Amino acid sequence: MTRGESLKQRVCLVSGPPGCGKTQWALQTLQSHHGSCSYIRLTGDSPDGLEQGLDSGIDQTWLQDQIPELLSAQRHEQGQDHDDDDQLTVIEVQQFRRPEHEGINGYGAQVQAHLESLQLQPTQILHFGRDPELPSQDTLEFSRLEAWHHSLVGCVWDPDSLSSFWFELVNGAYGDVYRAKALMNLPDGRSFFCNWMVSQQGSQFLPLNSTATPKGRPSRTSELVVQGKALNPPGIQSTINDCLLTDEVLEMQQQQLRSQQPTTPLQA
Amino acid sequence: MNHAVISCLHANLAAVEAVLDDIDAQGIETITCLGDLVGYGPQPNEVIELVRQRGIPTCQGCWDEDIIDGLNACECSYPSQLAERRGHRAHHWTADTITEENKAFLAELPMTLRRDKLLFVHGSPNSQHEYLLPDMNAFAALERVETAGAETLFCGHTHQPYVRELSGGSIRVKVQQRGNSPATERELKLPMRRIVNAGSVGEPRHGSTKATYVVHNDDTGAVTIREVNYDVDKTCQAIVQTGLPEVFAWRLSHGFEYAERAEDASHVCER
Repeated sequence: MTRGESLKQRVCLVSGPPGCGKTQWALQTLQSHHGSCSYIRLTGDSPDGLEQGLDSGIDQTWLQDQIPELLSAQRHEQGQDHDDDDQLTVIEVQQFRRPEHEGINGYGAQVQAHLESLQLQPTQILHFGRDPELPSQDTLEFSRLEAWHHSLVGCVWDPDSLSSFWFELVNGAYGDVYRAKALMNLPDGRSFFCNWMVSQQGSQFLPLNSTATPKGRPSRTSELVVQGKALNPPGIQSTINDCLLTDEVLEMQQQQLRSQQPTTPLQA
Repeated sequence: MNHAVISCLHANLAAVEAVLDDIDAQGIETITCLGDLVGYGPQPNEVIELVRQRGIPTCQGCWDEDIIDGLNACECSYPSQLAERRGHRAHHWTADTITEENKAFLAELPMTLRRDKLLFVHGSPNSQHEYLLPDMNAFAALERVETAGAETLFCGHTHQPYVRELSGGSIRVKVQQRGNSPATERELKLPMRRIVNAGSVGEPRHGSTKATYVVHNDDTGAVTIREVNYDVDKTCQAIVQTGLPEVFAWRLSHGFEYAERAEDASHVCER
């Protein structure tokens, strides 16, 4: 029996274009569920001229931080499955255009194959911009979209520089950015989920609940994903290089922080 | 008689030319410059030579000073690592580009200029690096003007043009007399003083890309803040062509300063 066939198990596939609010909807839905829950993000199709943003682990990490008991739907594939009857699984798929067919047939072969390998059978399929159950204010139609991503694992930002960089990024200094999201490390051990969409007034800067000890470089997920038009990756890269702390400066700042905060924070 | 006060030209030739044209069109013959002829912008030699050619009395700005003395400001000069690195890049490019003759001109610029009760400085009478912000503590602002012996202090550096009148100021002094005599109190009323910030010709920071300067009427004391359109694209192209950071062009074309102010803008750098 695949998941979704059990009467009490819900497997919800939610899809939509970049920045429409899929992850936010997943967070609210999973948080309001009383049983166990799991999540996975799948890569959808890339029609001509529309590049998928890399599944960099940003969404999974953010959701895991907000819902520590959240399971990865991938564990089933890895033979670690322990389903209970009251389980909710949310599958997030970045899908630029409205599915042309009903049900799972509205999604590409890659998504279907992945679901099959995970033995997941959606009991509910929702698409932003089509289904009234979902908010639609941030659902935009894209005709052309470039994507760029950059791993920042082990990188720590000068906080004021991060603020300037993000301002420039979302205001067009490096091309017409429609969507930007990231997980960024600060020297005090905090990590921030940075989130921006062209349809919204401002950026979200949300601190993760888990913090690292301010000693050295954290090894947790840290990525930047940018989608837009006429992007200037060398320009972005160059500015990032000017914002990241060297070992020497990082140690100097962290030493000061450690002497001010004798209590040990939670380990990430 | 009207006279024009310009400041913070920042090697932006198109902006300087447009402002001088605007001044000439009004028939104003007296111009005073508050410094920062160079820094961030792509035409430092051209701007210095234009100021020299026009014989404009000029005091030394913080960038002019740094080009001569080297980068020896403390870390407070920049609000972030990013701003500091960009600033240093612009500094080194400028220092390498300026001719020896023009460096000698910058080196000879005075810290202040005075005409009767009018005092002209780049930052404040204390330092080229001190910001006299429009919302600065009134007593501190009055102190800067009064101790310099000026009635009107013209400054730049903040890139935000403003006119601030400091009136109703008084100082109360209590003096303990000898013996058992009671202490005496005196209140000294201070006459009105003014701070006039000329804004910036080459790097506007007032929410617009227009170059700003001020016109002062020596007879009536009236001050007019002028805004002048100039060919921003021309300067942006020059920024990119010279190899300065491309983001400078983006920031200039949007009316954003190249590097934001330090968090504690009132801090005076100890050199």
